[in-house]
Amino acid sequence: MPRGELRTLNLPIADELAGRSGIRPRVRPDECAKYAIADEVPKLVFSPRTASEAAKTISLLAHEGASIVIRGAGTKQSRPPAPVGVDAVLDTARCMGVMEYEPADLTVTVAAGTPLADLQAALRLRRQFLPVDPPFAAEATIGGLLSARSAGALRQHYGSPRDQVLGMRVCLSDGSVAFTGAKVVKSVAGYDIAKLFVGAYGTLGFIAEVTLKVAPLPAEQLTVLATIARVEDACACASSIASSALFPMATALLDAGSGSLVRTLVPSGAPAWMLAVRCGGSPAGVRAIADGVTRLFRTAGAQAIEMLDVDRHASAWSDIAELAGGSAHPSQRWLVCKIACLPTEVASICTAAGALPAAAHVVAHPTAGVVFVHIDARDEHPRRAALELERSCSGPHRTVEYLAAPLELCRELRQPLPSGAPLLLARRVKAALDPSGTFDPGRLAGGI
Amino acid sequence: MKAGLFERLVGVVGSDHATMRAGDLANYQYDGSADRATPRAVVMPASTAEVAAVVRACVECDCPFVARGAGTGLSGGAVPEGGAVVISMARMCNILEIDPDNRLAVVEPGVVNAHITNAVKHLGLQFVPDPSSQAVCTIGGNIAENSGGLHCLAYGVTSHHVLGCEIVTPQGDIAWLGGKTADAPGYDLLGVFIGSEGTLGIATKVVVKLTPVRQATRTLLAVYDDLAAASLTVSEIVAAGIIPAALEMMDRLSVQAIEEFVHAGFPTDAAAVLIIEVEGLPESALEAAVAVRDLCARCGAREVREARDTAERERIWLGRKSAFGAMGRLSKSYYVADGVIPRTKLPEVLAAVERIGAEYDLRIANVFHAGDGNLHPLIAFDDRKEGDYDKTVAAAADILRHCVKAGGSISGEHGIGIEKRDCMTLQYGDADLRLMANLKAAFNPAALCNPAKIFPTKRTCGESGRLQAAVPQAADARLVSEPAF
Repeated sequence: MPRGELRTLNLPIADELAGRSGIRPRVRPDECAKYAIADEVPKLVFSPRTASEAAKTISLLAHEGASIVIRGAGTKQSRPPAPVGVDAVLDTARCMGVMEYEPADLTVTVAAGTPLADLQAALRLRRQFLPVDPPFAAEATIGGLLSARSAGALRQHYGSPRDQVLGMRVCLSDGSVAFTGAKVVKSVAGYDIAKLFVGAYGTLGFIAEVTLKVAPLPAEQLTVLATIARVEDACACASSIASSALFPMATALLDAGSGSLVRTLVPSGAPAWMLAVRCGGSPAGVRAIADGVTRLFRTAGAQAIEMLDVDRHASAWSDIAELAGGSAHPSQRWLVCKIACLPTEVASICTAAGALPAAAHVVAHPTAGVVFVHIDARDEHPRRAALELERSCSGPHRTVEYLAAPLELCRELRQPLPSGAPLLLARRVKAALDPSGTFDPGRLAGGI
Repeated sequence: MKAGLFERLVGVVGSDHATMRAGDLANYQYDGSADRATPRAVVMPASTAEVAAVVRACVECDCPFVARGAGTGLSGGAVPEGGAVVISMARMCNILEIDPDNRLAVVEPGVVNAHITNAVKHLGLQFVPDPSSQAVCTIGGNIAENSGGLHCLAYGVTSHHVLGCEIVTPQGDIAWLGGKTADAPGYDLLGVFIGSEGTLGIATKVVVKLTPVRQATRTLLAVYDDLAAASLTVSEIVAAGIIPAALEMMDRLSVQAIEEFVHAGFPTDAAAVLIIEVEGLPESALEAAVAVRDLCARCGAREVREARDTAERERIWLGRKSAFGAMGRLSKSYYVADGVIPRTKLPEVLAAVERIGAEYDLRIANVFHAGDGNLHPLIAFDDRKEGDYDKTVAAAADILRHCVKAGGSISGEHGIGIEKRDCMTLQYGDADLRLMANLKAAFNPAALCNPAKIFPTKRTCGESGRLQAAVPQAADARLVSEPAF
């Protein structure tokens, strides 16, 4: 369905939906206004409790030719491009709860609308956790963070959220409910289609339930951080740590401006890049890792090396995650860009960001080769700065993605299409899984 | 088969690298599974462009094709059912690039798994996935089957260690899925390609992640008089928050077979033996080893010993890795089953496996990745004895039924291929299989790329339908309608 073609939704459909699925959608404009996506008020909002309730409504709406945007906590909806028309919103808020959890199996099955914070609280009781630290951690839902493939610095040791996904129950636009993957830690039985739904931004179907691999919480954690004057030295230091046998949990690199926003840290000395390394393990093990990291810091000429105890450590990493994803700043003000590059290219990307024709902040996961650049959209030329960033980041295998933008920019910006992206295959996959083009058409790069 | 295909293939790869001589074709009838089928031709391209040209020629002639690595697969994934053209990756075996600063390597699909680690060992790096066949199996095959290995408990499977693949699509186009960097925007086509058993295209270049080698490794051997106590230990270790690098179990029959074969020093009177490997910095490896020792003792281990040096450690692992070969000495033939269960269900499912062995009057040895809950019952049978193979397949299917009932999967790392396609319905319903079929059609609309694998035929699970090379029995009748050349 071409983008911008506003399909008329027959409103008595609400009665039919209520009759068929047992849930009454909201259609009053004042109620629907709360679910507006980039100022587009949907004509209808439905909040299913289960996969089968969702499937019934989806199938009816798809039949009517309506488009559906799936919404969890709504924290990623300012991602460009803005949708041109939103017929219906599937609100996942009532689709929540831990469904199966066996700690000794290290697996948990949850409904998609479950807030990450709730899941972490349930796992913490058994000294386990889902090893992801995305931004918007207080509000984000599991379904939302997977759909947006929202990863934090913990990806260094644990992999990105897609690596934790074992199985999924999904609702498709033909009204079917399908299970893909398995509920055990490894399975090669048919295609691993769950991977496709991670990072698909809800354009293939609705993730109703997901089975995830969880990890034991390290017995102890502490963080070593330091300031380093030159970004090249900071990146080289991060690389030497990642190539060592120390295996820390996470590494983050912050420019002086971002570093000063981490609440528990006392600013010291001249403005400089800040490198933070999160260590976890047994009491003796964690100390040995931290000592090793400190030695490598010294070799790199780091200043103000500091070890954070457990309390300051937790709050520092929560701040770092929020700073990376842009949730620490109001999105009315910032354009949040994510650049993926080789780890050895992080320093030059950081330098390029500093030379943009607009004020910018940088937070990076240097060992994963991911840089978040926040461009001040109140500047005169945020769009020019964005294009400048795209230009300076172009190169083989590098990609630029806009994660969030103020509304006006959201309407203007297109997601850059990486050169050599397998667009034909991606279009065929979309057509195969969502032939009616029901799920948020046009929201991905390349108009998928 | 349309006339002229073989000439076209020769035109692409040269006459030295294409064959349709019966003697040559016989070598490509099989992989590590029981199924056999004779290919129409075998070609050995040397480059991505040649693979693409071979695929296009096959597509234009409406001829099925299947990529082949070392042929160590255990589910028939590389068996050229329906007389497919075999595209051997044997000549695409170069390590193209090693980038230690970015901890990655770019390799061709025919590179042997262990050769990657051998090439980067001096840099303190390794390629982690280590299937038991790693000395011969190739990275292309590892991608097809999303191979696991002995160390997936701590490090995950192949899909966690591959950043990108250049592929030749089933239409003969060249595309990159993923790349050298993380998080390529758009659908994670790489994620679904890995483990697709060669049905969604052919990998022609692979970007693998390299991981630093740990400083200290401690390998423990725990000996039990009771199988259930060994199973309990597995859950207790994980529940205690310890994730060993490897956690393997062998039961009495496999220990006896191994001892007779390689003399690894395992006690042959034990009911079960666990190999538990912990690693990290010296401090943490020591702490973990002490904790594991304690847990084993508390769960009823008769004895816990630790390898004192590298030689002893290697002897233990040699024993474990020789298990399949050792079974060959105990019995004329054996069948390797592969199922996964939640590890907390080990005691009940192992008991069920024992009952099934008794019921069918078959000897079943268990040697498996206990930490992952990935069972590998080895069923001994005599292929020359009438009905013995059929009985074995039926017993294996019963084991899989128990795995699915326990909340598990019918394959952990060997894949579905031909062997288990009729068991897919144990685990998946119509809607699930339809989703997979739709996905397959998006990549492989003409169904010529490794056809008839993974998806169920009209047989039921456990009904023996072994393909015999002399009489190809394709599920898809269209594929056998044409005689070979």
